[in-house]
Amino acid sequence: MSGSHLSRDFFALVKAIGESKSKQEEDRIILGEIQTLKKILSGGKGSDNGSAGSAKKKAKEYLVRLMYVEMLGHDGSFGYIKAVELAAAQSIVHKRTGYLACGACLSPDHEFRFMLINRLQRDLASSNILEVCSALTAVVRLITTDMVATVVNDVTKLLSHQNDLVRKKSIIALHRLHQLDESNITSQDLTGHLRRILCDRDPSVMGASLCVIEKMTIKDAAPFKDLVPSLVSILKQVVEHRLPSEFDYHRVPAPWLQMKLVRILSLLGKGDKSSSEGMYAILADAVKRADTGINAGFAIVYEVVKAVTIIYPNTTLLDVAAEAISRFMDSSNHNLKYLGVTGLAMIVKDHPQYAAAHQLAVVECLDDPDETLQRKTLDLLFSMCNPVNCEFIATKLLSFLKDTSDEFLRKDLTKKIVVISERYAPNQQWYISTIITLFSIPGAGELVNPEIAQNLMSLLAEGGGDDDEEEDNAMRMAAVETFVNLLDEPQMPPILLQTLAWSLGEYAFLLEDIELSEIIEDLCKLARRTVIGESSRRYLVTAVFKLVSQLGTCPPCAAHLVDDYTKSRDPILQQSCIEFQSLITENVQLLTEVFPVDASCEDVGADENLSIVQGFVDQALAKGMNPYSPPDEADSDEEEDGAGQASKPVFNITPYEKPSAQPQQYQQQQAINPSFSSSTDTSGGASMSSGGAGGDGGVQLGGGGDVGLRLSGVANVWGPNMEVKKQEPVVVEKKPEPVMQPMVEDIPAPVAASAFVAVEEQKAKELTDKEKMAMALFGGLGGGGGGGGGAKERRGSTGKSKLEAMREKKAAAAAGTVPGSAPVPVPTPAPAPSDAGMDLLDMTFDGPTEVVVASPPTAVLGFDGGGDLLSPAPSSAPAPTPVAGNNDPFGVLNEPASLEAFSYESVNVVPLPIDTAGFGSRWGQCGFQKKASVKTPNRINSLDDIPAVLPGFGFHPVETIVKTSEAIAAGVVGGDGLILLHFKVKGGGLGVDVTVKANNPTIGEKCFEYMLESM
Amino acid sequence: MIRFFLLQNRQGKTRLSKWYFPIGESEKKRIESSVHRMVVSRDKKYTNFIEYNSYKLIYRRYAGLFFTIAVDITDNELAYLESIHLFVELLDSYFSNVCELDIVFNFNKVYNILDEYMLAGEIAETSKKEILERVRLLEKLE
Repeated sequence: MSGSHLSRDFFALVKAIGESKSKQEEDRIILGEIQTLKKILSGGKGSDNGSAGSAKKKAKEYLVRLMYVEMLGHDGSFGYIKAVELAAAQSIVHKRTGYLACGACLSPDHEFRFMLINRLQRDLASSNILEVCSALTAVVRLITTDMVATVVNDVTKLLSHQNDLVRKKSIIALHRLHQLDESNITSQDLTGHLRRILCDRDPSVMGASLCVIEKMTIKDAAPFKDLVPSLVSILKQVVEHRLPSEFDYHRVPAPWLQMKLVRILSLLGKGDKSSSEGMYAILADAVKRADTGINAGFAIVYEVVKAVTIIYPNTTLLDVAAEAISRFMDSSNHNLKYLGVTGLAMIVKDHPQYAAAHQLAVVECLDDPDETLQRKTLDLLFSMCNPVNCEFIATKLLSFLKDTSDEFLRKDLTKKIVVISERYAPNQQWYISTIITLFSIPGAGELVNPEIAQNLMSLLAEGGGDDDEEEDNAMRMAAVETFVNLLDEPQMPPILLQTLAWSLGEYAFLLEDIELSEIIEDLCKLARRTVIGESSRRYLVTAVFKLVSQLGTCPPCAAHLVDDYTKSRDPILQQSCIEFQSLITENVQLLTEVFPVDASCEDVGADENLSIVQGFVDQALAKGMNPYSPPDEADSDEEEDGAGQASKPVFNITPYEKPSAQPQQYQQQQAINPSFSSSTDTSGGASMSSGGAGGDGGVQLGGGGDVGLRLSGVANVWGPNMEVKKQEPVVVEKKPEPVMQPMVEDIPAPVAASAFVAVEEQKAKELTDKEKMAMALFGGLGGGGGGGGGAKERRGSTGKSKLEAMREKKAAAAAGTVPGSAPVPVPTPAPAPSDAGMDLLDMTFDGPTEVVVASPPTAVLGFDGGGDLLSPAPSSAPAPTPVAGNNDPFGVLNEPASLEAFSYESVNVVPLPIDTAGFGSRWGQCGFQKKASVKTPNRINSLDDIPAVLPGFGFHPVETIVKTSEAIAAGVVGGDGLILLHFKVKGGGLGVDVTVKANNPTIGEKCFEYMLESM
Repeated sequence: MIRFFLLQNRQGKTRLSKWYFPIGESEKKRIESSVHRMVVSRDKKYTNFIEYNSYKLIYRRYAGLFFTIAVDITDNELAYLESIHLFVELLDSYFSNVCELDIVFNFNKVYNILDEYMLAGEIAETSKKEILERVRLLEKLE
C-alpha cells in the first residue's frame, strides 16, 4: 500500500472512510475531521509547534484533507483562506496545491477569487516555467468574466514562450478568456494567434490549437476556410506516421489528433463544394489506414463516416462510409453496432438507399435489451421515416413512449411522433388515431403542443381536403368511436379531454348504434370529476349543450349538471349554463339554431371592424369614457389554453348591452379555443350572442356549432410541412392543389430497386416475423424491394391518393369523351409559361425533383376546374416549347407512330447492355434524378410494352420485373452520358411512373422531357 | 467537449470527480448517484454509452472501478472510450499495476495526471511519455 508519504492522521482518515459501511458512518468521520481541521487551520501555524518547514508541509496536507472533505460533499469553506495563502507560497508544490484547492473549492462568484489575481499575474510573468504552468492552469479554472482584462495581456505574451508546455497551455487559456469575454480578446485576435500556433514545431502545441480551432469553427467557419489545405497536409502527415512514435496509441498514429482534424475538416467542408473537394482524398486515405480492427482505428473510421455525411457529398466516399457502417452493423460488439446505427441514421437522411442492406440488423437492434442501442435505433427510424413505413415507425415510437419514464426521452419521442405523423401520415384516420393515442399516454399528453389538438379538431371539422363527405364522415366516425371508448378512462390529460369533448359534441350524432343520451350521461360524469381543470370542464359542458340540442330533450343528468353549474365558481361556465337554461326553458327552437349540427365549418359573415358598435362607442367616448385598450396577454388566467398562437385571447371588458332584437355585436374573446378567431362570433342572425344570450366567448365558442373555424393559418401548420419540401403530406385544403403539386408517395425513387427485388424474390417465400417487420420498416426506402408490395396496398387508401384518385376520375371521364388517341390541338406536354403568372416550367424543373405531370390530353380537360394553373386552357396558343433535343414536340405529339430515339446535341442514345447488378451499381453514380407520373401514356400501357418500345427510344431494356410491375432500362449518350430509366406500371389505367437518372444533369433533364413526350 | 469525469467504485463511492462546467454541490451529488445507478446496472454485453439528459455518458469498467466521461451528444463515443483506456494506461504505468487503493491514497497525484491529460474539457495531451515525464518532474519538486 502506497501511503507512506501521508501522515498517520490522514492515512487513518482515508482508511476509515474506505472501510465505512454506510453513508452515516462516513458523515460522522468527516464531521470529526472537519472539527480537527478547523482547529488546526484557525489556530494558524503556531498551533503546530514543529519547525516552519514541517508546518508548510503539514499545511499542504491539510489542504488536501480539506479537498477530501469537500469531495465527500461537506462544506470546507473555513479553510479556503488557507488555500489562497498557499497559492502565494514560494515553493512550487505548495503553490500548485493552493491553486488546486482554490480551483476545486471556490465557487465562481466567491470573493476570494479576486485575492488571487495579483498572485496569478506575478506567476504568469515568472521565469520558472512550472510556476507559469500552474498559473495558466489556474487561470482556466479561476478567472471569471470580470477578471479577464487583468490577465489577458500576460497570457497573450506567453503564446511565444520558448517552452512548448507553456505555449500549449496559454493558447487554451486564451480561448477560455475569449469564451468568457469577447470584448477583451476578439475573435480576430484569437484567430491570428491560432494560425501561428497551428504551425508550431511541437505537435502537441499544434494539437492544443486544434481544440480551439474546432470550437471557433463551430461558431463561425468562414475565417478558417483557407486553412483546409494546411489541415489536410497536417492530417496527411499524421496518417502517414510522420509524428514521433510517442503519439502512437496501440500503433495507430495519434488517433485523437486525426479525429480532431477530420472533425474540423468536416465543419469547414459543410455545404462547401470547393473546400470539400480538397479533402476527399485524405479522408479516403485516413479510413483505409485506420481500418486496423482495434477501437482506436474504428473511432477514426467513425469520425470519417460522420464527416462524409456532413461535407459536400461524394459518391465514392459515401460508398466507403456505407461499407464501414455495414461492418459496424454486422459486428457482434455492441459498441460498434451502436456506432453503425448512429452512422446509418446520419447517412440515410440524405441517402436513403443505404438503409436497405441493414433491414434485419436494424430490427434486431430494436429488440435488443440494451436501452442505449434501442434509443439510437429509434433515432435511426425517425430519420428514415417515409409515408410507407410511417405507420410502423409511429407504432414503435408510441410503444417506447408508453414504456419509458425518462423525461428527456419522452419529450423527444413526443416531438418525433408529432413530426412524423404530420409529415408522413398515410391518411387522416391514421393520423387522428395516432394523435389520440399520443394524447392518451399518461405523461405525454401534457408535453404535446396544444396546437396539435387544434389541428386535429380542424381536420375533423373540415374534412380531408376533397369534398367527399362520406369519406370525411367515416373519418369523423372513427374518431368519435375512439373517443367513446375512452370515455371511461379514469385519467385523461386535459388536451385529450378537450379534444374528446369537442369531437363528441360535434360528431357524436354519427354514431347510429349509441344513444346520444348515453353519451350525454358519460360526458356529465366526466364534467363532474373534480380533478379536471376549468377549461376542460367548459369544453365538456359545452359538448353536453350541443348534444342536448341535437337530442331535442334534456336528460335529467344534463339538467342537473347545468343546474349545478349555474352556481359554478367559474364565471364563464356559470354564465353559459345560465344562458343555456334560459334558452331551453324559454325558447327551445332557438337552441337548434344556436347549436346547429355539424356546422363548425360554415362560414360566418363577420364584421371584424365591429362597425355596428361604432355608434355606441362614439357615444360612450363623447360621454368621456376611456377608449378601449386591449388587455395584456398576461392578464389571462387560463392556463390550459396556452395554445396561444396567432390569435391571443382577449377578454371582453366592455359591458354587454341588454339583449334586444337588434343583433348586438361585440369583441369576442376566446378563453378556450384561440383559433376560433375573434371575429367568428360576431355574426348576426343565428349566433348565440345575437339570440340575446350575450354568451360568453369561452364556452360558447368551444361549443360554437355556428362559428366557422378559421383555419387559413392553421391548416398549413398541420398539413404540408415546411421542412420537407419534397413531400407534401395529407392536406386539409378544400380545393385540389395545382397540377404540379409534389405528391406524397413520390418519395425517393426506388433506388436500384430491381437489383434488390431480384434477390428478394428468391427469399420471399419464407418470411419470418422479423423479415416482415423489416419490410414494414423499409418500405418506401430506396432499395427496399421487399417493402414495395405493402407500400402499394397502403397507398390505395392514402389521403393523398384520394386527391389523386379524384383527379384521375376526372381524367378518366375526360378520356372517355375525348379518345386518347386523337387529341385535339393540345398544348405541349411540358406547358410553357402561362400569362396567369404561374410558371409551369419553373415548377417542373426548378422545383422539387419529383413531379407529377399529367399527360397532355388530361392535363387540359381534367384540370380546368383547378383553374388558375392552366388558365390559358386549350384555346391558348401553344407557347414556346422547351428545347427538347432535336425533337419537334409537335411532331412527336401528332404522330405518335414515328418514334425517334432520344438524342442529345445530335448524338443519339445507344443502348447500354448491362445486367441488373450493373444497373444497381450505376444507379448510385447518377446525381441527376427526376421522377414523374404519366397518367395516360401513348406507348406504354402495360408492362409488356416496355421492352418492346424501349429499343425505339434508344435504350436497352435491362430487366422487367413482373411481380412488382417494374422495368429498368439503360442507355448511354456519347460514351459517358449515362442514363438510367426506371418504370413502374401502376395498372388499372393509373398510368406509369417514370424515373430518369443521369450522371449529367443536362442530359438527364433533356431525357426527362423526352420521356414525358414519348411515353 | 468533456462535461465531467467520474471515477466511482462499484458501491458508488466517488474516487475522483472533475467537472468542466460550473455546477452546484447538490447537483453534483445527484448526478453522481444517478450515473452510478445507470452504470452498475448495465450488462457487460451492452454498449458502453448511455444517453443521459443532454449529454452522453461513456463508461468503462476496470475491475471494481467505473470510469465515466460525460461528453456532448455529438462527440465521438469510441474516441472517448479509448480516452478512458489511455487514462487507465497512464495510471497503470505511473503506479505500476494500479489498483483502487492507489487511487484512494494518491488522489492528488491522480488529479495531477488528469490535469496534464485533460484541460478545460478537452484532451490536451495524448502522448503517454509526455504526460508522465511532466508528472514526474513535478514529483521531484516535492
